[in-house]
Amino acid sequence: MGEKDQIKTTAVKGTQTARLIREMVKNIYRSAHEAKEQGKKVAYFMVASQYDEIVRAMDVVPIPTENYAGLCAAKRDMDRFLLKAEEDGYSQVLCSYARIGLGFDSLRKELGGIPENAPDGGMPEPDMMLGSSAVCDPRFKWYQAAGRYLNVPTYSIDVVAPPVQAELKEVRDYYIRYQEEQFRGLVEFLERQTGKKLDEDRLWETIKLGDEAWRLWYEIDRLRVAVPSPMPAQDHFSIMVAGHYYCGTEMAVNFYKQLYEEVKYKVENGLGVIPEEKYRLLYGGGLPPWHTLWIFNYFESFGAVFVIENVYRGYDPVEVPSHVRDPIKYLAWRAFLRFTQRHEEAKKNSGHQVVERLLKLIRDYKIDGVVFHACRSCRATTVGQIHMKNLLGRYTDVPMMQLVSDMVDLRDYSEAQWKAQIGAFIDALKARS
Amino acid sequence: MTATETLKHLYLHREMRAKELKEEGLKVVGYFCCLVPEEIFSAFGLVPFRLQGSQRDVIDRADAYIEPMACPFARSCFNRALKGEYDFLDAFVAPHSCDTIDRIYSIWFHNHPADFNHLLNVPHMRERGAVDFFRAELAYLIKGLEEWTGRPINEEKLRSAIHLSNRKRNLLRELYEMRKHNPPPVSGAEVMEVMVAGMGLPVAEYVELLERYLEEVRWRKVGGPPEPRLFIWGNEIDDSAFIQLIEESGAMVVMDDLCTGSRSFWHEVPETADPLMDIAQRYLSIPCPRSNFTLTGNRKQDLENRFGYIGEFVEAWKVDGAIFYIIRYCDTCELEGPDLRDYLKEKGIPVLMLEDDYSLVTIGQLRTRIQAFLEMIGEVV
Repeated sequence: MGEKDQIKTTAVKGTQTARLIREMVKNIYRSAHEAKEQGKKVAYFMVASQYDEIVRAMDVVPIPTENYAGLCAAKRDMDRFLLKAEEDGYSQVLCSYARIGLGFDSLRKELGGIPENAPDGGMPEPDMMLGSSAVCDPRFKWYQAAGRYLNVPTYSIDVVAPPVQAELKEVRDYYIRYQEEQFRGLVEFLERQTGKKLDEDRLWETIKLGDEAWRLWYEIDRLRVAVPSPMPAQDHFSIMVAGHYYCGTEMAVNFYKQLYEEVKYKVENGLGVIPEEKYRLLYGGGLPPWHTLWIFNYFESFGAVFVIENVYRGYDPVEVPSHVRDPIKYLAWRAFLRFTQRHEEAKKNSGHQVVERLLKLIRDYKIDGVVFHACRSCRATTVGQIHMKNLLGRYTDVPMMQLVSDMVDLRDYSEAQWKAQIGAFIDALKARS
Repeated sequence: MTATETLKHLYLHREMRAKELKEEGLKVVGYFCCLVPEEIFSAFGLVPFRLQGSQRDVIDRADAYIEPMACPFARSCFNRALKGEYDFLDAFVAPHSCDTIDRIYSIWFHNHPADFNHLLNVPHMRERGAVDFFRAELAYLIKGLEEWTGRPINEEKLRSAIHLSNRKRNLLRELYEMRKHNPPPVSGAEVMEVMVAGMGLPVAEYVELLERYLEEVRWRKVGGPPEPRLFIWGNEIDDSAFIQLIEESGAMVVMDDLCTGSRSFWHEVPETADPLMDIAQRYLSIPCPRSNFTLTGNRKQDLENRFGYIGEFVEAWKVDGAIFYIIRYCDTCELEGPDLRDYLKEKGIPVLMLEDDYSLVTIGQLRTRIQAFLEMIGEVV
């Protein structure tokens, strides 16, 4: 490492557009409170469940409970919720998003209202909870457990994806059929809760908006292949709010249009995140350390920039066949195509769909090093990182590192240890350059 | 050897029989969890071998492949594979039962593959289309096995396999029925050993052993001072040490809801015209915390829907207290535990909720907490 100690810095040149996100996050919770006052239906929901557009088309106002946990951590106001959940009997190793959510619900029930000074006004009591098995098990178990504190209807759906080794031609039909049935079950549930029928035209509209937002987001990320990098990871962890928490709305599309223009401008004018970009890093996976996002700036102080991430935008746009004319069928097809888009390539090469994606990112983005973040309480995004590192190592010799903490629980984080690890990693990058 | 001795021997030498059969030319399928239908393997004439870890050995090799914040049971199983202890397996089948088992399939497949490898997707939901989907997944597994073995199977073979496994389930229920006696003729530790002994041999052999074993148990004379009767809930316990620890502390384990215990055999597979559908239905109805019950009614009704069968267990087996043994990092059990505790407390059943690392070293450290719990129950009983 260098002679002088590296210190915290602020992002040198993040995008201006990403700064709009703070207001969009506040708006999530403000809108939910307003909706409650106006008698509209409000739902706890899980992002990336592939049902976003249905929820929007039914005019149900979503409250992303995982985002709320991340928000509490970013504001360093998570301990009271974590400790409350633990006091109620939830293990200290249980998903910390769930612990914050359950702790928040427990406190709100106990106090008879929003806990004092809760970040962004807190989450109002929902009218329903919509879980899913997409991504991980706690995403339906959490809402089941939340029944201890909330007497509201709850509905969860399965979101299924075949393993890489499956012959897609043979399993496709029954995977899509089941997914479609799961969505239809959700629609019936929402129709009962809202007292109105799903308007298919309206659903097509939200799907179009959802697809357009995700296409623009993909295009933005494609612009980020540029050297120097026009947009840092810190921005990625902000701007994902539009794609996930506003999916199916005009607001998300407009946001990404504006961001696209800004990133394009920065690329065309060679404006990088930092003045001298020495190392280009890939965030290989794992939920971000919401409690310590400045760590990315710390990397930048060594000339290392995270230019692309393998989290939150897990799939590229897909082409659903034109014979699919029903919007629910469309969503089922889209989910299947999204989840399997790298299966065939993987079968021919690494045998692992995420490794395949990482290898492509390493090539396309001229990556010098890969960093994973293992979260002690997140099985779904953590278990398998070492495995991916091992597989990647069969195809590339870029240095790789796994930092360990948690997405929100600061008790699992050690600044001294991270700094030492990062220092050694930078040395490895230096030795290769 | 008596059946009791044979079962004990099989418990102590779990891979022995499967290895012998392999020597004789049979193929052995290793599989995880109670969500994979053994009937399918039996129908192919394959030896079903339920994968087990070791609470006695340290996990010394798996760290290079899998994170320490993953289920220690799954890590231990893979550790054993890395040490060559599972080299006798010809096939490896993992269900998508939970996040960790799903991930470990890929790790196992890439680093220690068997000749045939398969991930079985098991729906988390039980309603609308889930059974049809699971049936299709099972048909896909069968197709893979047909290609691998070069032998097709027909419905008749499946039906016979179902019939045989149902016979096994009947016998195990008979054994569990005997535990209603006070004191029961078999200890909880012995039952655990009998269960584990059956995990590594053909169902027909196990059935024959169980028939003889039950006869032997029927003649046992039992007596002794009354002790608190306990119910154990949790996930994978495949070593009798934990149950033994409880029983040495002055209690009797008389009933369980574990995936190596009642959860694995309680319900029969219906025998109708569509055997694959019957299997799909039965396995999806296994009350593992990884599966979802859609909320109907209020909280009280929800708990009754989810845990009503446990309510029946504790009543019929006259249970005085419950111990939860949750293997650390099992998110679904960690989320289920507090709800089940609420439910049992409502029924007046005291609960001790333990979280453990699936290791004899850490189990030993639980002794004091168990003793304190038993003292507390003793004052009540």
